[in-house]
Amino acid sequence: MTTSSASTSTWVSTTSVSSSGKRIQREMVELNMDPPPDCSAGPKGDNLYHWVATIIGPPGTPYQGGIYFLDITFPGDYPFKPPKIVFRTRVFHCNVDSSGNVSLEIVKDGWSPALTITKVLLAIRSIFTKPDPYNPLVPSIAHLYLADKVKHDELASEWTMRFAK
Amino acid sequence: MFRSHNVATRIFDRQISSPAPGSAVHYARRFYENLVPNYTIYEVECPDHLFRKFTEDGQYLVCFSRNHQKLIVYRPTWLSYSCKGDCTCTDLPPKARRFESFFTQLYSVSLPCSNELICKDFFLYMESNRYGLFATSTGQIHDATPVGGAVLGVPSIEKITFHLLRLEDGVVLDQRSFHHDFINLAHNAGAFLYDDLLAIVSLRYQTLHILQIRDSGNLVDVRAIGTYCREDDELFLNSHVQNIHETTVACFHSGLKQRLLSFIFRGMWNEETDPTLRVQGLKKKFYFHFQDYVDLIIWKVQFLDRHHLLIKFGSVEGVISRNTDLHPAFFAVYNMETTEIVAFYQNSADELYLLFEQFYDQFHATSRNSYTMNFVSSHSNNMHAREQLRCVKKKASSSLQFVKKMLASLPFNCQSQSPSPYFDQSLFRFDEKLISATDRHRQSTDHPIKFILRRQPYTLKFKIKPGPEAGSIDSRTKKISSFLFHPFLPLALSIQQTLYLQPAVVNIHFRK
Repeated sequence: MTTSSASTSTWVSTTSVSSSGKRIQREMVELNMDPPPDCSAGPKGDNLYHWVATIIGPPGTPYQGGIYFLDITFPGDYPFKPPKIVFRTRVFHCNVDSSGNVSLEIVKDGWSPALTITKVLLAIRSIFTKPDPYNPLVPSIAHLYLADKVKHDELASEWTMRFAK
Repeated sequence: MFRSHNVATRIFDRQISSPAPGSAVHYARRFYENLVPNYTIYEVECPDHLFRKFTEDGQYLVCFSRNHQKLIVYRPTWLSYSCKGDCTCTDLPPKARRFESFFTQLYSVSLPCSNELICKDFFLYMESNRYGLFATSTGQIHDATPVGGAVLGVPSIEKITFHLLRLEDGVVLDQRSFHHDFINLAHNAGAFLYDDLLAIVSLRYQTLHILQIRDSGNLVDVRAIGTYCREDDELFLNSHVQNIHETTVACFHSGLKQRLLSFIFRGMWNEETDPTLRVQGLKKKFYFHFQDYVDLIIWKVQFLDRHHLLIKFGSVEGVISRNTDLHPAFFAVYNMETTEIVAFYQNSADELYLLFEQFYDQFHATSRNSYTMNFVSSHSNNMHAREQLRCVKKKASSSLQFVKKMLASLPFNCQSQSPSPYFDQSLFRFDEKLISATDRHRQSTDHPIKFILRRQPYTLKFKIKPGPEAGSIDSRTKKISSFLFHPFLPLALSIQQTLYLQPAVVNIHFRK
């Protein structure tokens, strides 16, 4: 095939990403077949590597009634590297910092290529029901959670009303 | 019913018969069939001002000086002049054919400070207090340098100032300035006054500023909707987060956008109960377009009542381009008290169009105290206007295009209509392409505009002809005319301008 170098390079780049692309596509099918409760996600436009996820604040928690939007970015070498998760909705949570970064064991050191986006969504949902105050990103919130859970829940639910409705 | 065109007979009729319940005003207005501005004084000798508007109470004629520096306010008086000797002839003496015979200047004040100029297309009138709101601004910068929080691609104006004036004596009571911002001042588009509440759309910072005009003549901030929804959100956040600054603000969807996105999401989530189909539907309809929703910016706003705002959203490209038809747009109804989105429609939604068709007057939210404005003809209160709309609808090639075209007028410009009874379509018929209650510049022809009785005997009642009596010598030059009708007197001004910077030709139309 005689093509210019430019088209060759695009050809090369599509083949090199296609293994991660295929994997993401497979996970998308899997997610659509068996979605976890209160969660949904999908690619933004036609870019397979940039997703948006929505988590509905689980009932019985101070996050109830909130709709949380998250950005999920898959690296080119997915699934060997974990996806990056960022909250785009403000949340009062000891594991989410003031820029929306979330500390989640399974998308950091605990990452394994065997994990899927469905598992990641379930893990994010679980931080709403069970915050981890012993590995906090915001120590003050973690401290409040341990010292005065009633006050913590009141504040968290006020945040939900103000910023996540 | 036969109605006499003899004034004395009609007054007698009015005395002996009473109107059907609830139609007293309509009944009284029919008398305007007999009192029409059928006499024209052509090319009136008048000051070279930019004539803006009669106030709704008919007490003031608001004008600006041609150098955009001064506000000049006149009191419309009826024709009054004095002359020596024989005044019994049918024609007016030359001395009476002057602007000053009809209008008395109340005052002339300088509005702008430093290098600002008056925006000649902006004027809002607060009926209850007889306050006027004016705007001055500096020039526009198109390639504005991006600043934190500002939308890229929206031009910037160094300084825009709103001035609240007491119309009675021209005293400036309060001022409010916006810096390095963009507010669409043309035809009042970027600001909406409802009772004492004023909404100002900052396009560059995507904020709806809600202000209150107090009886004391002060402009008070009520809330700013955009980054935050509640008035104390920022304060609340500051008291709980240590390092909140611009960079962390940009991390999150703005308050209003969060409400919008979650409203759209909830709607789609609740539409489908089967979890598998739901996720698939969301993927196609929500996530695929997610970035487009995130990129939407506020274009325009109007009040529907004291709590609800009708907000138009669109793309950045659409806000600057004149032809907005090509760009998708959306409408949201937002309750600023509960901070909830109540409804969301695309600009091609049949559902919104049906509301527009049936409840048009609800969209024309005018102040509760406003009496005359309730009688402006529309297709939801006037059968002739409705018939006309039906005709246009029938002629439209595609229903989608028709709906888009109709909804393009939403949200309405504030105070853009004249309450003059001569625009009442149950009284008179006229060519709406040439003249209408809507305050707009129109291309002018040399033919007079005819006002024909809507009822028997369907005769021509009066003509309004802008420009010189004999017509213009050069028929090729494009002429633009505008019309200012007094809200209740048979008195109107027509102003014709050629595109070149010649003085305008002003005619006074009145009942002699």
